[in-house]
Amino acid sequence: MKKKAKIFLLLTVFVFPSLLFAQTQIIGRVTDAGSNLPLQGVTITEQGTNNVKTTDANGNFSISVKNDRAKLVISSVGYVTQTLDASSNMTVTLAIDNTKLSEVVVTGLASSVKRSNLANAVASVSGKDLVGTTVQSTVDGALYGKFTGANISANSGAPGGGISMKLRGITSLVANSQPLFIVDGIYFDNSSINGGLNAVSKAAGQGSIQFQDDPSNRVADLDPEDIDRIEILKGASAAAIYGSRAAGGVVIITTKKGKSGRPRVEIDQSIGVQMQLHKLGQREWDDTKVQASFGAAGLAYYTANNKQIYDYEKELYGNHGLMSNTRVGLSGGNDRTTYYAGFTYKDDEGIVERTGYQKSSFRLNLTQKVAGFLDLALSANYVSSEADRGYFNNDNTTTTLGVSFVATPSWVNLYPDANGNYPNNPFVPSNFIQSRDLITNKEKVNRTLLGGTATWKVFTNIKSDLKIIARGGIDNYTLNTIAIFPQVLQFEKNGNGTNGAYIYGTTITRNSNYNLIAVHEFRPSNTLSFRTQAGITGENVNIDNVINTATQLVGVQTNLGQAGSIAVSQIKTLQHDRGFFVQEEFNYNDIAIITAGVRGDKSSRNGDANKLYYYPKLSGAFNIHQLPSWKSDLISQLKLRAAYGQSGNFAPFGAVYTPLVPVIFNGTVGSLITLTEGNESIGPEKQSELETGVDVGFLRNRVTIEATYYTKKVEDLLLNVQIPTSSGFTFAWRNVATIQNHGIEIGLNAIPISKRDVKWVSGINFWKNTAKVTRLDVPAFNTGAFGATLGTYRIQEGKSPTQIVGIAGPGDKVDAESGLGVFGDGEPDFQISFTESLTYKRWELNVLMHWKQGGDNINLTTLLSDIFGTSPDYDKKSLDPTGALSNGPYRLNALGTTAKPWVEDASYFRVREIGLRYHMPREWFRNIADVRVGVSARNLINVFKYNSYDPEVSNFGTNAISSNVEVTPFPSAKSFNFDLSITF
Amino acid sequence: MIAHSSITNIKNMKYAHKNITGIYLIPVLMLVFSSSCKVEPILDPNNPGIGTISANPTVGEIQNLVTAIESGMRDNMNFYFDDAGVIGREFYRFSTSDPRFTSDLLGKGTAVLDNNTFYITNPFAAAYRVIKNANILLDGLTNTTSSDITAAQRAAGKAYANTIKAYELLIVLNLENSNGIRLDVANPAALGPFLSKDESFNAISGLLDNAYNDLIANAGVDFSFTTTLFSSTSGEFAKFNRALAARVAVYRQDWNGALDDLNKSFFDIDGDLTEGVYYIYSSGGGDQLNPMFFPQNSSGETRVVQPSFITDAAAGDTRLSKAPKRTAPTTQDGLTSDYDFFVYKTNVDPIPIIRNEELLLIYAEAKAQVGGAANLDGAVTALNKIRHAANLPNYSGAVTQPAIIDEMLNQRRYSLFGEGHRWIDMRRYNRLNTLPIDRPGDDVWQEFPRPATE
Repeated sequence: MKKKAKIFLLLTVFVFPSLLFAQTQIIGRVTDAGSNLPLQGVTITEQGTNNVKTTDANGNFSISVKNDRAKLVISSVGYVTQTLDASSNMTVTLAIDNTKLSEVVVTGLASSVKRSNLANAVASVSGKDLVGTTVQSTVDGALYGKFTGANISANSGAPGGGISMKLRGITSLVANSQPLFIVDGIYFDNSSINGGLNAVSKAAGQGSIQFQDDPSNRVADLDPEDIDRIEILKGASAAAIYGSRAAGGVVIITTKKGKSGRPRVEIDQSIGVQMQLHKLGQREWDDTKVQASFGAAGLAYYTANNKQIYDYEKELYGNHGLMSNTRVGLSGGNDRTTYYAGFTYKDDEGIVERTGYQKSSFRLNLTQKVAGFLDLALSANYVSSEADRGYFNNDNTTTTLGVSFVATPSWVNLYPDANGNYPNNPFVPSNFIQSRDLITNKEKVNRTLLGGTATWKVFTNIKSDLKIIARGGIDNYTLNTIAIFPQVLQFEKNGNGTNGAYIYGTTITRNSNYNLIAVHEFRPSNTLSFRTQAGITGENVNIDNVINTATQLVGVQTNLGQAGSIAVSQIKTLQHDRGFFVQEEFNYNDIAIITAGVRGDKSSRNGDANKLYYYPKLSGAFNIHQLPSWKSDLISQLKLRAAYGQSGNFAPFGAVYTPLVPVIFNGTVGSLITLTEGNESIGPEKQSELETGVDVGFLRNRVTIEATYYTKKVEDLLLNVQIPTSSGFTFAWRNVATIQNHGIEIGLNAIPISKRDVKWVSGINFWKNTAKVTRLDVPAFNTGAFGATLGTYRIQEGKSPTQIVGIAGPGDKVDAESGLGVFGDGEPDFQISFTESLTYKRWELNVLMHWKQGGDNINLTTLLSDIFGTSPDYDKKSLDPTGALSNGPYRLNALGTTAKPWVEDASYFRVREIGLRYHMPREWFRNIADVRVGVSARNLINVFKYNSYDPEVSNFGTNAISSNVEVTPFPSAKSFNFDLSITF
Repeated sequence: MIAHSSITNIKNMKYAHKNITGIYLIPVLMLVFSSSCKVEPILDPNNPGIGTISANPTVGEIQNLVTAIESGMRDNMNFYFDDAGVIGREFYRFSTSDPRFTSDLLGKGTAVLDNNTFYITNPFAAAYRVIKNANILLDGLTNTTSSDITAAQRAAGKAYANTIKAYELLIVLNLENSNGIRLDVANPAALGPFLSKDESFNAISGLLDNAYNDLIANAGVDFSFTTTLFSSTSGEFAKFNRALAARVAVYRQDWNGALDDLNKSFFDIDGDLTEGVYYIYSSGGGDQLNPMFFPQNSSGETRVVQPSFITDAAAGDTRLSKAPKRTAPTTQDGLTSDYDFFVYKTNVDPIPIIRNEELLLIYAEAKAQVGGAANLDGAVTALNKIRHAANLPNYSGAVTQPAIIDEMLNQRRYSLFGEGHRWIDMRRYNRLNTLPIDRPGDDVWQEFPRPATE
């Protein structure tokens, strides 16, 4: 560079003597092309130099250039960059970049890169994409269909969240394949903690890990309104730098920060109503049917009650829940200090009476520049929430509302009398109207997230700069799970149960993480740059879960002391991780960008706490369109990229230990060796991913296509395998399997219409994943669900890990090896989402549609309702190919012969989000405020053949393999909202 | 030209230093990392670990191991008793939830005993689990540095552990028979081989004898723990050890050895027949109930007596109170019975491990087998004690060895009904083919297959 400048200078001396010593002062103003409002923080760079200035709050800038032949590069995140000749008093208008190519994306732990230089298919969801169309309940629920490669499924419709997010397929057989969440650099705990309801429902055998309590997960505590953008690293090729926790991918969340300038206030109020998404109706009865299903006793009751029918589906699921979401955001600052403060209050009633979700969230983000070389940032978030989730899902006592509902015919009177006494349900151990009105199942959370970052710019000069970043974060929460089953309940009193149960659980989580990173950038010329970063990281996990189950309650008291009997269980989880990483990024003129790095990790969770496990990564992006020889008007962007990386997944907590478990004998306690032998040399499961792709842009990036192909291999998967029992143990943890996922992701973004008054932005995403078990050192085995009679999953070499098998009848396709029928697969065939945004003058219409094709569920709600004769389609004749039997008897007949009737196609098409907004003219509000009003809906249209309330369901929560089983869950809801937002 | 997109603001040139390339950072950071980032292994925060307990247990922890051994000895014994009782044609086990009790165990049609089914895998695993706990107890007693245990107590405690181990190995051997057992199982990564039947008996006998020597050597010493198995004093517990040894001796056909063992046990020819050692049950929270108890006249899940038990009985035998008549017969899978298996009257009745009544019968058996007039008379005396207790008159049959042996086996059938002996007795006397066949195609099995996971 220096040499060139010298030559140039000499030339100017001889050729343009009058300009020899002239330094020109350029003044200008930058505005937004659409709104004509001034743009602040726009970067003005004199091309070819290090001369950089930014615009102030009024969009003005002033830059001193060498001569007036200089060119200025004007750029700002989210806008199309312009390169213009310098001229005095320039006015620049910048247009919004819909292609996101200039968007900045986080890559390493401390750096970011322009999307156009990115070698991975990192998905990016902005705050506007997240909550711009309709109000959202939880962050993971807001991500449906907004990026490729994910299989997001809600476990049930219960308020307060509980969603499983699998990125690019299954990455573990025993862990839950959920990604790591990082919020502003703080590792965010996303546990699902059971409330101990099993003591009453007895859904799982004592000591079973397959609990079916339908808890939420803690990502529900995040406020979607606080979020500026989310980046999703879908696999090891991008997430390698996060090491042993990144096998399921990483979701990096950045919350809103303040900007210098006048204080901005945003107020959003949303009022809505939610209702049951899909009604099934109830079976119609007559004397013959009553007699057939409930015998003489049933007929007697039916006749005595004057054959009255009650619409219990409406009674139980028909509540129109009022929803309200209030948001206030305040941001502002000056050149040195900025702040962002946000407050959200949400209060949603559920579609079942006495259920709902309330959340209050406070956030404060501060940044402060100190002495020019030190930047400090603080983010603080306090959340307090309460979710009443109802009592649903599977049980073995016929007490959950769902099971009780399908077991009770619609001609039984369950309503209370004038004195508030509920009749006993004559056919089933519980009266679900009484249960609904008297049972409490509550999750209360108080959570504090604190994070701080200090950036020290050690030195900055033309060729290189160095900065050191120190970051720390604390994630503390207290989760209280309160389940109250009063004494007066039919299944608790008169010796039927435990005379009341009060299950009070407390979980205290204190997690923290820190890192210390140095970033050094070296620019030997203006086309080459080397960026080195290296750092150390540490994470601490401390979760203490205590569940008290008090039974034999005193009257209506809900106090642990007012009980005849208490059982207590406590589980503590402790973990310390330490790691280091090194990454080198090389950039040649934005044409070739190559990154290489490695992470080393050690953890107390491994058998050898001080053994380092290494996770390397290597990636390259080649921007062909940046080559000087590239001259095409049609293709404005052509990038080839490839990336490889490795990451890991910890063994379940406790797999290292071989404990002695407590047993009760003769009034004393003993210590008996456990059934599962611990593995003292256990290490993480290792994943390696290779991703290749091409990004093409046409017509000045008006149409862009991103296509990616990946293959992901997870090796040394842990399984609890059977070992010779003469060892004293029945099971042991062994690394015995390998799963391979491969898939494609295609994203097409286009702006079909872009005129002054009308604009249409369209996005289509297509993604597909296929998984296969490629190595299995133990014999194939069935797992999950309820056994081969009703459909179960089978882990078998050469087959998908989520294949659904069962006993086979005549005409069923049978697997030669196992003799079992193969009925389906939990993995979808493909998923497509459409995101359309239409703007006409002041109107804006946004639609998000989602189509999931394939993926099967095991639907056992139909089994239970058939057994009790209450299936809405019992008398319909649509299943029997011979047309002889109606649906109920047809399915019951198959019981014990084939599992086919319960494996159903769970494809669906949904209009997930739709919103229409009107941006009122500023003049109506004296040019002070921007006001937008609108209406929006969630799950407005749902199309599916699935024979129950919603194909998105999981009785077993976020379990890895068996997550598509349904047993009378809390039904899903659709909602309509009226939105008002004011900005000034 | 590269557009800078890093987060820094490059305005300030004040802090220009010498060009340090980033490479130098790496070794510095590695040094910082390796010196300050050692991770302390975290012990199990929820349970005691096998490592810490074996390495140096306290007296309290040793008691916990013993309590767990006695609790664990009961685990899955219902499968053992059902296995022996059903194959030995003492009773049928009807179950609506599992048809294999009436198909596999009785050899219905072409059904065979499967090597991966609960009836063998469950009791096998439960017995070895107790053996594992006993091995941990042995390690603990060897390694403990506690001052509250004397050397004598250490030795006596280990003898206790070995006695229990021998008993549990016997349970497995009874099921496995010629398939043998593994003896050396202390190290899960290096399990010893399966021994032959004779070697297995030798091993069990050896364990009992060595344990006995230590128990007697420390006869007056109290264990450093309390046990519900006969006595917590070494010398007294030794009597339980010899009682087990007597049973093993007759299985090995060591008749004189059996008589010798009986002398050193709690055998008392005039004593209470119920004196002995039992599995105990309780309805306390978390404890186990007697799994061999079903209320009378149950249906669905029930145990009912094989009819020949009633038809072959002598008139007036009070032991028939173990098989009261039902209000209505019950049938399942082609089998019918009128009589309930009602050996245990409540769900917290204890189940015998070994008791005086069996010792009297062992005495009779050993005496009869040794032979000679005096011994045969001795056998008859013992048998008469049994008969009188059952309200039967004196033995009036021939006083010859074969006749006495037949009578002894007959008395064992009624005295030890449902306690897991009939099948074993018929097997060791090669009389399995004399057991009744209820349905054509049914089989009487010799032994169980070795579990599939071995």
